[in-house]
Amino acid sequence: MRRLSSWIKSNSRRRSRQELGRGVALLAGLAWLAPLLAGAASFTATLDRENVTVGESATLTLRFEGGNPKSIPFPSDIPHLQISDAGTSRNISIVNGQYSASFLKNIILTPTQPGEFVIPALTAEVGGQVLTTPPLKLTAVKAPTSAVDGAGEQLAFFRLFVPRKEVYVGEILAIELQVCIREGLANGEDILQSFDQFNGCPLKVEGVSLIKTAHAQRRRGQIGNAGYGIATLVTSLSPLRSGPISISSMEVPLTLQIPLPNQRRRDPFDPFGMFQRLQVEERRVTLSAEPETLEALPLPAEGVPAGFNGAVGSFAMTVTAGPTNVAVGDPVTVKIQLAGRGAFDALALPEQTAWQDFKTYPPTAKVETTDPLGLQGVKTFEQVVVPQNPELKALPALAFSFFDPEQKRYRTLTQPPIPLIVRPGGPAPVAVAAASARNPAAEAPPPAPDIVHIKPRLGAMAQVAAPLVFQPRFLAWQALPLLAWLSALLWRRRAEALAANPRLRRRRRVAQVVRQGLAELRRHAAGNRSDDFFATLARLLQEQLGERLDLPASAITEAVIDEHLRPRGVPEAVLGSLRELFQTCNFARYAPIKSSQELTAMIPKIEAALRDLQELEL
Amino acid sequence: MNRIPRRNCLGAPAGLAMLLLALFAAGARADDPPAAAFEAANKLYEEGRFAEAAAAYQKLAPPGRTSAALCFNLGNACFKAGQLGRALAAYRQAELLTPRDPDLRANLQFARSQVHPPTLTPGRLQRWLGRLTLNEWTLLAAGAVWLWLLLLAFLQWRPALRPALRHYVRALALLAALLCAGAAFALRAARFTPTAIVIEPEAVVHYGPLAESPAAFSVHDGAELRVLDQKDDWLQVSAGPRRTGWLRRGQILLPGR
Repeated sequence: MRRLSSWIKSNSRRRSRQELGRGVALLAGLAWLAPLLAGAASFTATLDRENVTVGESATLTLRFEGGNPKSIPFPSDIPHLQISDAGTSRNISIVNGQYSASFLKNIILTPTQPGEFVIPALTAEVGGQVLTTPPLKLTAVKAPTSAVDGAGEQLAFFRLFVPRKEVYVGEILAIELQVCIREGLANGEDILQSFDQFNGCPLKVEGVSLIKTAHAQRRRGQIGNAGYGIATLVTSLSPLRSGPISISSMEVPLTLQIPLPNQRRRDPFDPFGMFQRLQVEERRVTLSAEPETLEALPLPAEGVPAGFNGAVGSFAMTVTAGPTNVAVGDPVTVKIQLAGRGAFDALALPEQTAWQDFKTYPPTAKVETTDPLGLQGVKTFEQVVVPQNPELKALPALAFSFFDPEQKRYRTLTQPPIPLIVRPGGPAPVAVAAASARNPAAEAPPPAPDIVHIKPRLGAMAQVAAPLVFQPRFLAWQALPLLAWLSALLWRRRAEALAANPRLRRRRRVAQVVRQGLAELRRHAAGNRSDDFFATLARLLQEQLGERLDLPASAITEAVIDEHLRPRGVPEAVLGSLRELFQTCNFARYAPIKSSQELTAMIPKIEAALRDLQELEL
Repeated sequence: MNRIPRRNCLGAPAGLAMLLLALFAAGARADDPPAAAFEAANKLYEEGRFAEAAAAYQKLAPPGRTSAALCFNLGNACFKAGQLGRALAAYRQAELLTPRDPDLRANLQFARSQVHPPTLTPGRLQRWLGRLTLNEWTLLAAGAVWLWLLLLAFLQWRPALRPALRHYVRALALLAALLCAGAAFALRAARFTPTAIVIEPEAVVHYGPLAESPAAFSVHDGAELRVLDQKDDWLQVSAGPRRTGWLRRGQILLPGR
């Protein structure tokens, strides 16, 4: 209860955020497309409450899915029941990519006298299909003169509404808990909204099975001389044992905020009251409803049908079967639909003793309810039966018994036999065994009677090879992509390192220039091209020295020998050979004539000088 | 235009066929059983002389070599002769050669359904992993790892594509990890969890590796047991969480060994 109380507080803070817009234009567009996108047509009618006091209202909702109705049905006049139109709406939902759209028509029903009112079956044409809803029942009771002592004077109270005092074991009954909050309370709307969003069960009761809790539409009511906002939680339950059952409600601590009467005092700095906070008095109350007692009656011991298995409610049955032309051993799917009102979850298909000539498999079941409490709907069973002999002519009659609490007697629904054509024989036993292995996902067929026959051909003789994972060749192949990736990684790292180090990049470029330049020198020497030879030599010296000294190649002259190399401790022999090479280049500029032999003889000296330069640690 | 003579068109497939025949002939060995002996064993089977057929099939296989059909037929003959354990062992041997043979799977499943409990029943994970063979798991895992590493190598070459292909790299890494895990489980189940098959109509499992040790429980012909340990001529086996004991080696077969 404390959790609910804190939830109410936090919910009031959240409310303003929740009221933000939700993409109205998109929904409006989808609404136009609804009939095109929707699936199978359906038409249901539900009441948000089945029990009201005189003067209160219940909402009848007509829901059309799978298309727009050709015309909207409206209940005909019912004596002592006011029927008024509450408008239409559209619901569009996309859940996990599944689109569903529905068209809703709301009708307000207000009894003016106590009694039971039957809303007749309504018929509408939806998506080309004519659909009919089952009749619905609305019970109106006289308004209690003092449901809660001094109710009209209280700010907030709970009241329990139990429509009947007697109920059969297994029957479903809807109990209402009404949360009444006096109009005018500062946080009244928040409290009502919190109860509208409450997900738990509001009742404390033992000896029953609590099925579901739903919320009826919130409304306004006059209790005593005061107006109240009323939130209604409806819980469906089913007694598990006979005898008196006490029903009480949860206890909820609440803080009510009562506006103080002197609110109209004007603030001279806020003449329009825009910044004025509502001044309230907080009052703590704990709400709980007066307990009610329900008498659970045992089911009559007389007249219990043979196949009765505990079903209580009001049901109709339809049975279909297919295929009806089969061979012995072929499966026939029997579909049994039980539609009506009752505890569908507990509803089980009775054992059919007349099916002894069929092999039966456990049925599957699916429940589709049409009301928020899960009391009305359809339960569909699908049972696979396999005819065992070719003399069968029909699927025997199927019977379903239940206790109808309205009529206070047992009823048995019987479906006439369904004609079958059962042919003798079936697939060969051997093939059955093979088929079971070829399609393991299929439903389990009857057990294979024998193994598959022997193979007629010997086939290739072979040695049972070791698994791939133990074969060295296979394992060696797995190293290939790893090597490819490692090679690419190393290449990439090297490229990145080079890009980040311009000196290294220059050193490599100059090394390449020197290699190519030495080859050029040999060609010039062989061709006795003295000018070209010395021009190339000068360029090589400049490139190599520039790279070593980190200077532009064009800035290198003979002077760098004394200015840069000598201070850095370069050996005198290296300096001497470099000076000699520079001077030879200079002399050749003025006396270029040298023989091919002389030029060729210089190349080892040049190579040695350049190599010495490359090895220098500067 | 020069037309290719028709004789030349036929020449290529014919040459390929000759090459395949030569390769096939090269695969056959002198000690392989003649087809006539296999036919004779099949004849014994068809005559309902299942024990004799089983013995004939067993004699046919030269050491270290076998064929899927031979193991399959041996399994059938043993099954028909009432030797459920030996039949299962033969089917499992055939399974190593042709794991996807539907007839083999059907017979193996059928034979297992005839085994009297207790016997090892694979869990859900084992059944799911068993849909693929160890080699299939290995190839799938290797394929995923290849793709992943080649994609990584490609991204070293074209680093600009890294943002665009980042999700593919992660998805492939996840896929490769899952498939490697599957392969590891399959390997563990296939190679590192040895199983034994009982070949006696009823064998008593003892608490200890001694004939005098009290009986723990009994297993029946065809029961598949997990081998946990070995001592002298005894094997410690398990048929479930609380069913562990020792069996003589002569009472069981170790398939695949």
